[in-house]
Amino acid sequence: MHEMSLSASLLAIVSDYAGRHHFSKVNTLRLSFGALSCIEPRSLELAFGVLSQGTPAQDARLEFDIQPVVVKCLTCERESASEEFPCPCPQCTSSEVILMKGTEELKLLEMDVD
Amino acid sequence: MVTISVVKQVLDANDRIAQENRRLFDEKGIYVINLMSSPGAGKTSLVERTIEELRQRYKLAVIEGDIQDTYDAERVAALGIPVVQINTGGGCHIDANMVREAMADLPLDGVDLLIVENVGNLVCPAEFKVGENDKIMILSTPEGADKPSKYPLMFHESSVLLINKMDLMTHVSFDLTKARADALKCNPALAIFEVSCKTGNGLDGWFAWITEHIERFKTRTA
Repeated sequence: MHEMSLSASLLAIVSDYAGRHHFSKVNTLRLSFGALSCIEPRSLELAFGVLSQGTPAQDARLEFDIQPVVVKCLTCERESASEEFPCPCPQCTSSEVILMKGTEELKLLEMDVD
Repeated sequence: MVTISVVKQVLDANDRIAQENRRLFDEKGIYVINLMSSPGAGKTSLVERTIEELRQRYKLAVIEGDIQDTYDAERVAALGIPVVQINTGGGCHIDANMVREAMADLPLDGVDLLIVENVGNLVCPAEFKVGENDKIMILSTPEGADKPSKYPLMFHESSVLLINKMDLMTHVSFDLTKARADALKCNPALAIFEVSCKTGNGLDGWFAWITEHIERFKTRTA
């Protein structure tokens, strides 16, 4: 359940910004992370919902921009997005692929506030 | 309604503390590994073997992370090595702040190698830096060869993979070729050692790796 630690860190950032930008309510938080970063959106929503009670982010909606898996093929040398990993090269079906993207850490991109 | 652009790593606060830990380790010339695996894969057995091999040559210290109890720390203390137990009280990983607090209770002067044994878990520890030089992970053969494809992040983040319990491989139908191939797809630079902490087979490669990295770090900080 690292979603609990991530939610606590997220709320610390919100609280920091609430002090500096003087808002009292967060409507939406836009987040991004890699598809392979082991973050479960529903667990994050649940943990965030519990921990945000009584804060400006209570009832805020979480939007997820999930970064795709990108593999590079060592046979045809092309990079392609993939739904899953490990996978054969989506273009030439070679199994000689390496992971290029998809493990990006959780980032807070922006928030809509009142 | 106003939109505020943030673009901030959510674990930024943890990363900052990890960097502070790292600065202190650099000052004191301590090479630090963050040891991760599933529960029961052999982390404490590897710690014991590594201590036995390196203790004549280097000064060692250990931070043990567990959800509760002090069993692992007692195993290390029995070898006469300074050890601090972190009990996360249900937390599934060690974070940088826990390590910072544990460091206060550890005699760090003159230490060459600090081993941080993380909580048994293949998911969360990969995300939380603690100030280590390298992440080291263990996969044991009874867990199955599908782990690199199920938990790619951990394999992606680690410098070394020890495939442990090789003595059991024939009994548990572990597909070594698949495990190696999938692990290298996650991380082509991964150093892989096939070992048995029980029999001691294959550990020479690991001892050579860790010795080389301690020495390389010493010359860098000297």
